[in-house]
Amino acid sequence: MTGDASKAQEAFQETVREAALRSARDEAPPDRLWYFRDARWRCVAACEEGLQAEPGMLEETEISPSAPVQIEQLHPDQLAVWISAAPEPQRSALALFYLDEFSLREMLALLDVKAAELSELISSGRRQFQAWLDATTPHYEA
Amino acid sequence: MSIFQIRPNYSSLARCAPITEKPGTDRAMRVAIQRARRGKKAAPFAQQQAFDAALAKLVRAIPVDAQVAEWFANESLIPLVKHGWKKILLNPVVVAIALAIAVIGGVFAYRVHEHLHDFPGADKARRLLAVAASTRSVLLDPLKTDAGALSDLFFMKYRLEHYDVPPEFADFKALGSRVFDDDEVHHVAQIWAVEKRMQFFLFPAEKDPKDGSVTDFSDWRFVELEGWTGAVQQQNGVCFMAVIRGREKDLVPYLEKRKP
Repeated sequence: MTGDASKAQEAFQETVREAALRSARDEAPPDRLWYFRDARWRCVAACEEGLQAEPGMLEETEISPSAPVQIEQLHPDQLAVWISAAPEPQRSALALFYLDEFSLREMLALLDVKAAELSELISSGRRQFQAWLDATTPHYEA
Repeated sequence: MSIFQIRPNYSSLARCAPITEKPGTDRAMRVAIQRARRGKKAAPFAQQQAFDAALAKLVRAIPVDAQVAEWFANESLIPLVKHGWKKILLNPVVVAIALAIAVIGGVFAYRVHEHLHDFPGADKARRLLAVAASTRSVLLDPLKTDAGALSDLFFMKYRLEHYDVPPEFADFKALGSRVFDDDEVHHVAQIWAVEKRMQFFLFPAEKDPKDGSVTDFSDWRFVELEGWTGAVQQQNGVCFMAVIRGREKDLVPYLEKRKP
């Protein structure tokens, strides 16, 4: 979400602190989604200070059959940086979707978007990532 | 209602199909996945799934800060919310259910209370209370005599045996009387008294459906219907009911003061 481990850690700690304060006031967070929702907004706020990506600025390519092989060559940090550079709410959508922790219903609740909107955010994210993959780690058929 | 439209866009849903199968997947999503796997777009969908799986694997490989990892390992970050009794009781759903139960219970208790002191013939008596409520004195044959004297009239003119007015009401002046046949109660004698615009009814007692016997009772038993009250006594297989517009307490003095 942030592309910066220290910012992410700070957001995480702030969320945990807020949860502890709420629990002390007998207003404990109602469910696990609260943590992700709170952390998401803290990450978004932390990133607002820097340069912001604009939607529709990236090139898009259809998913290639060789994409899994291309992805295998990536370092996890590269993916983290790429996702953190995406505009909101696409960045949050991609982060939540690829965490593979949430049901569609939970993602819609967390992101406050409709199913069709989420679908478009994710599928355009795929095509943009494929274009980026083709540019950075091209795959040549043997 | 589902989070999806009434007619979901399956191709749109398939584009955000879950990377790994989850137990709570919505039905619309399951249908979308099945269609995508079997339809013309099966190959692109398989590529999408492979793409997503590879990216998810890479996401899991993103290093987590050791301190944060330790927190997750040792701390219970998401405490179970203890719902206090107060919170549970103030929950709108609980309040609504409690109210519904209270109303149903109230109606049930009222019905039970209403029939608690029921006696054989109570239904007939209630039916006649409705008759009393709708009767006007002009409908009866006018006369001027004591209510007790009408027993002979009923026997001589209508062959109604034991249609006797009890001593408590025998001295009451009558304004009119009639005899009529009711579908359920059968031969009914009705007397209109001067006192408090009281009405008296005499009608056949309820027979035991098993053996056809009739059990008389000499005490007064009460029935009520929409502001009308009747005091019923049964002698010789005939019920006598004194009816008044009011409550049981309005009738009780007449029953007590006439006791020998």
